[in-house]
Amino acid sequence: MATQLRSADVVVVGLGAAGGVAVQPLAEAGLDVVGLEAGTWLDRRDFAPDEIRNNYRSWPMLVKKTEQERPTSRATSAQTANRIGSHPMMNAVGGTALHYWAQSWRLNPWDFQVVSRTTQRYGASRIPAGSTVEDWPFGYDELEPYYDRVEHEIGVSGQAGNIRGEIDGRGNRFEGPRKRGYPMPALRWTAFNERMADVARGLAWHPFPGPAAINSTAYQGRPGCGYHGFCNKGGCPVDAKNSPHLTTIPRAVDTGNLRVVTRAHVTTIEVDANGRATGVNYLIGNNEYFQPAKVVLIASYTYENTRLLLLSKSPAYPNGLSNNHGQVGRHYLSHHQGAGVGALLPYDTGAWYGLPAQGVAVDDFADDNFDHSGLEFIGGGNLWAMSDRRPISAANMSTYGRSRGWGSEWKRFIRENGDRTHSFYIQKTTLPYEANYLDLDPQVTDPLGFPVIRITGQYQENERAIATFTQDKAVEWYRELGATEITRGGVGGSMGASTHAYGGTRMGDDPETNVVDRWGFSHEAPNVGVLGASVMGTSGARNPTLTAQALSWRTAQHLVDAWSDIAD
Amino acid sequence: MADPTPNRTPISRRDLLKSAGAAGAAALIPGGVTAEPAVVPAERAAVVPTGPLMNLTAQETEILGAMVDRLIPSDDMGPGALEAGAVRFIDRALSEAESDSVDTYRTGIAALDRYSRYSRGAPFVELSERDKDSVLIDVQLGAATGAEVGFVGSSGSFFNMVKSHTWQGTFGDPMYGGNINFIGWDILGYPGVRMRVSDEDQRDMEAGQLPPARRSAYEYGQFQMTGGEE
Amino acid sequence: MTASRPLSSALLAVMLAASAAAAQTPTAFIVESPTMTTGEMMPRDYSPDGRNVSPPLSWRGLPASTRSLAVLCQDHGAGNPPPWVHWIIYNIPAHATGLPEGIPFDSSDPMPPGLEGATQGSNGWGLPMYRGPAPPAESLHHYHFAVFALDAELDLPPGLTRAQLLDAIEGHVIGQGDMTPHYQRHPASADLIP
Repeated sequence: MATQLRSADVVVVGLGAAGGVAVQPLAEAGLDVVGLEAGTWLDRRDFAPDEIRNNYRSWPMLVKKTEQERPTSRATSAQTANRIGSHPMMNAVGGTALHYWAQSWRLNPWDFQVVSRTTQRYGASRIPAGSTVEDWPFGYDELEPYYDRVEHEIGVSGQAGNIRGEIDGRGNRFEGPRKRGYPMPALRWTAFNERMADVARGLAWHPFPGPAAINSTAYQGRPGCGYHGFCNKGGCPVDAKNSPHLTTIPRAVDTGNLRVVTRAHVTTIEVDANGRATGVNYLIGNNEYFQPAKVVLIASYTYENTRLLLLSKSPAYPNGLSNNHGQVGRHYLSHHQGAGVGALLPYDTGAWYGLPAQGVAVDDFADDNFDHSGLEFIGGGNLWAMSDRRPISAANMSTYGRSRGWGSEWKRFIRENGDRTHSFYIQKTTLPYEANYLDLDPQVTDPLGFPVIRITGQYQENERAIATFTQDKAVEWYRELGATEITRGGVGGSMGASTHAYGGTRMGDDPETNVVDRWGFSHEAPNVGVLGASVMGTSGARNPTLTAQALSWRTAQHLVDAWSDIAD
Repeated sequence: MADPTPNRTPISRRDLLKSAGAAGAAALIPGGVTAEPAVVPAERAAVVPTGPLMNLTAQETEILGAMVDRLIPSDDMGPGALEAGAVRFIDRALSEAESDSVDTYRTGIAALDRYSRYSRGAPFVELSERDKDSVLIDVQLGAATGAEVGFVGSSGSFFNMVKSHTWQGTFGDPMYGGNINFIGWDILGYPGVRMRVSDEDQRDMEAGQLPPARRSAYEYGQFQMTGGEE
Repeated sequence: MTASRPLSSALLAVMLAASAAAAQTPTAFIVESPTMTTGEMMPRDYSPDGRNVSPPLSWRGLPASTRSLAVLCQDHGAGNPPPWVHWIIYNIPAHATGLPEGIPFDSSDPMPPGLEGATQGSNGWGLPMYRGPAPPAESLHHYHFAVFALDAELDLPPGLTRAQLLDAIEGHVIGQGDMTPHYQRHPASADLIP
């Protein structure tokens, strides 16, 4: 029998990157907030620079809940879905933001208006066949103040390229106009980064340093990055990687209005006869609890957001909460962020003490930043040249057919080439399609007996064409750098589970094609809100986290402003 | 309330293995089951790590050691995986994170030796270096089959498992029992774990002038080995 | 199981390719081995059932203007697409009369006397060495050794694939010799294990 708890104003399910940000404006406004997190608190003592543990033994990702809810995946609905090998998400206070790469980008204005801008410039026939893409219900300008707020609240380092219309060539000339610069300068460049930037300028491109939710200087009483080199899937031992557990969550706790409950495994959302949410059910171990609340915000990452809705069936919602229009799970996409390009260079790159968020970006081939007349695709990709190298991964580098990969000859090879590989990370415009969606797997369940999410998706022609095009640019860049070997990844088949997963609870004005409204609240159940990239309808050519956080702050702020409308 | 965690070893065993140092102790390199111990050059016996192994017999350890010794040999460039303690790393891993692989190791080691006798006419540990390499290439390529040699699945997956663990044991943090005296990091030219790398340190490294920091991550004091799950 | 006859059509295919590559029709010359015969089982020592060393080859009757040689060992009944390449070796000096057994597979071991400069390319596994027959159990495959006489010392770089080699020798093939032994893996036999 579930223990009935004292009612809260708001219950937030999940205190990761998105949920962890929303709690601050809510608590500061005086709302009584309960934050339910399946993981626990971790701190810098848990984050040793230990490649075996972080990168080979998947710690700290080994929390049972994510592992047991791993989705299944298939390319098309003609196939049976298989369980994925490992789940990219982590449960903890602060979530995956504890160990992520912390690249922290704003979307470009084009990403909010793909349909209207493409139609205007090239004609409606250029929207790829089978895509369900819509313009977002608002543009970049609407979100700008929230980007600004989150950048300052959590701490993002970077170099601005456009402040109120004034272009600064040291930053990204293609970015949307900002009210002001970043709170901290960009992370430093290595000599090799400088060399890459020089070469890019020689190609008439516009390189700039990428933004990161990582302190480049002391900020809010925490030190700047130590460049220790274990940032990739590693937590930060000096508290310079700005997850909500260091910033927005403690601030909310300090107001006295946020109560964090850890190890809380939320199973379903309850609704009343009128279809309004009344609270959530959760387990701690074998103990069941019901947390009543006036408003429920779900922030458990794209797969679990969708799953929680689909599992919360009731007479008012026989197909899952907020799913009477059949849109929960639709318009799903895994970001096209593979199809990278790698190279072997004839000189050391000084990358031992780098991090994935340190590097050189080129946005010339992203979005609609270049003329697509005569091309077969819309959108584009961001070329990201980072500095990241750890010992075991260096020892596992390709030998480009020069050695069988072990033995004395290999030892000679690795001694010379250990610091000489490099790779491009290329994030591309990815659109939603009718054929790509999430639903509940008909066979596979978690240990509690609840079906896991099934991902049905494959990369479509438009995105594969962008991949080939952007790889060509990366190859050109490597040739100018004197690379002796260049390899290109495959341009994509089955989507699989992703660290950049979007859609499933898309945001838009039309309830026939979207789950939540322009503020992030369910069209059907107005006191249920969704936080995270599951509300995003396009990906842009950059990481989702800062955008998910800006949207999250905006949704929370709206809840505060419109409290009596939403809560009562 | 903690979820059940698999096979966590007590701290004391870790300390025990850590303290079983390289210098001076009696040679582990097992003599196997034959009456005479295998001949081991005296200088090598002194630097290969010793101490109790918990998951493999002496004979299995000898065969695995011979394989590891070919994967990253000791040669004119310096010591290799065996001196770096990769076998010790593997044994500890089999007690902890890789406990599901104990049978795979034991079956694979037996299959390696059986294949060596079948194809090269001698136990693996008795082959010349070149012949061992030739055997390992065939194991790597999945060609080591026939005559009930007995690899579970492809011989290639056994090879890849041992290689992967040997790499972790050679190039991973020394706290896990491998990368003794930073032998692995020296092979790579990796300047070691540092908590703070100043602009000047970075420039020195780019100029090839940064002295290696010879410390485990866990010598920096503030970390606990939480390992496993919550 | 009856041996299929890929032999002659594959032989023909390679000869046609070689003749397309040649300035004129290549001269056929003799290729033999002290331990192998066309149409018969190769010794197991040239396979992973044994020591997996490269077999000895000898040749005679090369065209007078031969300046270097290249050797390919390929299985036209394997690979996707075929052939599967077991060995590529080139930059063989013209005065060589053959290859002894056991060409080194480790680059730090020197080539035997008289074969200085001989260079190995990438076999089907991507390795610069001979790797012998390993066909599926109970399946007989044929291993076509093709020796090309070239009219120049091309000084080719290491690690070439078959396609790269054929491309590089195009227009230089003045002679070719072949032999095709076959192999089937030995069945499971407990008495072979001591």
